[in-house]
Amino acid sequence: MSKSNTLGFGLGLRSEYYQQILEQRPEVDWFEIISENYMVGGGKALYFLDAIKEQYPLVMHGVSLSIGGPHEIDADYLRQLKTLADRVQPCWVADHLCWSRGSAHHLHDLLPLPFTQESLLHVASRVRLVQDVLQRPLVLENVSAYVQWKTSCMSESQFLAELSSLTGCEILLDVNNVYVSSRNQGFDPWQFIMELPHGRIRQIHLAGHSDYGHYLIDTHDQPIADPVWTLYSKTLSYLGATATLIERDDHFPPFDELLAELSKARSISANALRAAAPCA
Amino acid sequence: MRLSAQQEALERYLATGDSVIPHELMEQIQGSNTLPAADGLMIYHNAYRARLLSVLREDFPALHRWMGDESFAQLALAYISAWPPRHFSLRWLGERLPEFIRGYIAEPQRSPMIEFATLEWAFTLAFDAPDTEPLSLDVMSRFSADDWVNLRVYLTPSVRWLQLQHNTVGIWVAAKAEADIPDVVALSTPLDCLVWRHELVCQYRTLESGEASALRLLSDGGSFASMCENLVGQHGEQAPLRAATWLKQWIGEGLLQRR
Ligand SMILES: [Fe+2]
Repeated sequence: MSKSNTLGFGLGLRSEYYQQILEQRPEVDWFEIISENYMVGGGKALYFLDAIKEQYPLVMHGVSLSIGGPHEIDADYLRQLKTLADRVQPCWVADHLCWSRGSAHHLHDLLPLPFTQESLLHVASRVRLVQDVLQRPLVLENVSAYVQWKTSCMSESQFLAELSSLTGCEILLDVNNVYVSSRNQGFDPWQFIMELPHGRIRQIHLAGHSDYGHYLIDTHDQPIADPVWTLYSKTLSYLGATATLIERDDHFPPFDELLAELSKARSISANALRAAAPCA
Repeated sequence: MRLSAQQEALERYLATGDSVIPHELMEQIQGSNTLPAADGLMIYHNAYRARLLSVLREDFPALHRWMGDESFAQLALAYISAWPPRHFSLRWLGERLPEFIRGYIAEPQRSPMIEFATLEWAFTLAFDAPDTEPLSLDVMSRFSADDWVNLRVYLTPSVRWLQLQHNTVGIWVAAKAEADIPDVVALSTPLDCLVWRHELVCQYRTLESGEASALRLLSDGGSFASMCENLVGQHGEQAPLRAATWLKQWIGEGLLQRR
């Protein structure tokens, strides 16, 4: 991935801001949509999607693929995902390295997988199937976790590296999720990031979490915390310019506050890249 | 333990209301000094219910207001354990709630509550029903004589047609406005009520019985002439005018599309 093809700095597209985005054309380089919100017959969501895609590049981010689940990949879901991708023409299509559906029903949460050889083969075969249908690499995101499986024999980042080399899938590095999981599970977040195959990182997520003292919960309802900014800056000094997106899913602030947070990401990124530039 | 067995153990723990962690699951889970395994599992257990509950609160805001937070939460949690999510999108979570109320709540509350939940769900259905090209007044103004003879229509796909036995609309309006909620009153004759989306906005309207049967006749595929004929009994010479006025209103409201 060359550094010049980064999309720049984006925001999650949320219905709360539809009108403002169309009226004010804010300086956002791109928007990320939650795919499932647009898998509907018609109405407001698709109307604004079509209007906003005329003005901004879009990326699709799903929450229901359940790439690691015990069920068969849902053919109907995959067909709708492909239909949406044909409509949106997104720069890429992402979901999470997790399972969100059990054998009996949907759990609607991003549940952690045991990082074992068995999981790796299971997930890899499903990634290939999805990529065949979508006709493009799938981008998978590390999730926030509150427990680990005892059977895990590698870290999540090692698992992502293996998976990417087996299938050609790409990685969405959620820096906040790394931080949240590292605090909850007592691992070194920097080691996690260094274990990833950096050339395969397509995108970065930043978001806020809630701090309960002993542990953190990934709530996406707060400004981004300082340690996450620090980790982001350090990460960019290794990765170079990388498409960065701020997620906000609750306690929606005035849009200007999100734009200010995006400016902060731009300047942290510029400083990190300047400091990391080799001497002439 | 194999992957699928591990997942089944966690799934069972999350989906049952019981917060006691089964031994076979606990054995598989690793916590940390800061977040012990049992606490980590509880986070998932609570998040599952909290997420689904908040979706139902959002999809049935007036029912929530009418019942009060505690009773609504009780109903919603009972519903979630009886009907765990079956669709990949949370948008469909509440689909069976009206049906569930039938078996969960006793009369005299049962009938008005089913009707109320059905009305609220109708808005959810109308909100993102398939887009369509409704018949417009502009097109109608250019109708030739032949067009009038051949005109056959459907209701647009977002239209939900309810027949209400109670003052459900009044209760719904009050609950939405956060005003004092009137007592339930049974109506002497059922009231027809439409819920639909026009352009991007959800609409609702009640119909008096003459208008309801005329719209029914037309949207079932009857011709404009047969609708007029049907109105002669009650409206005499004024029947064609009555029919034209209604048709114009229905088209203006975006209720009709051509067959
Ligand atoms: Fe994320």
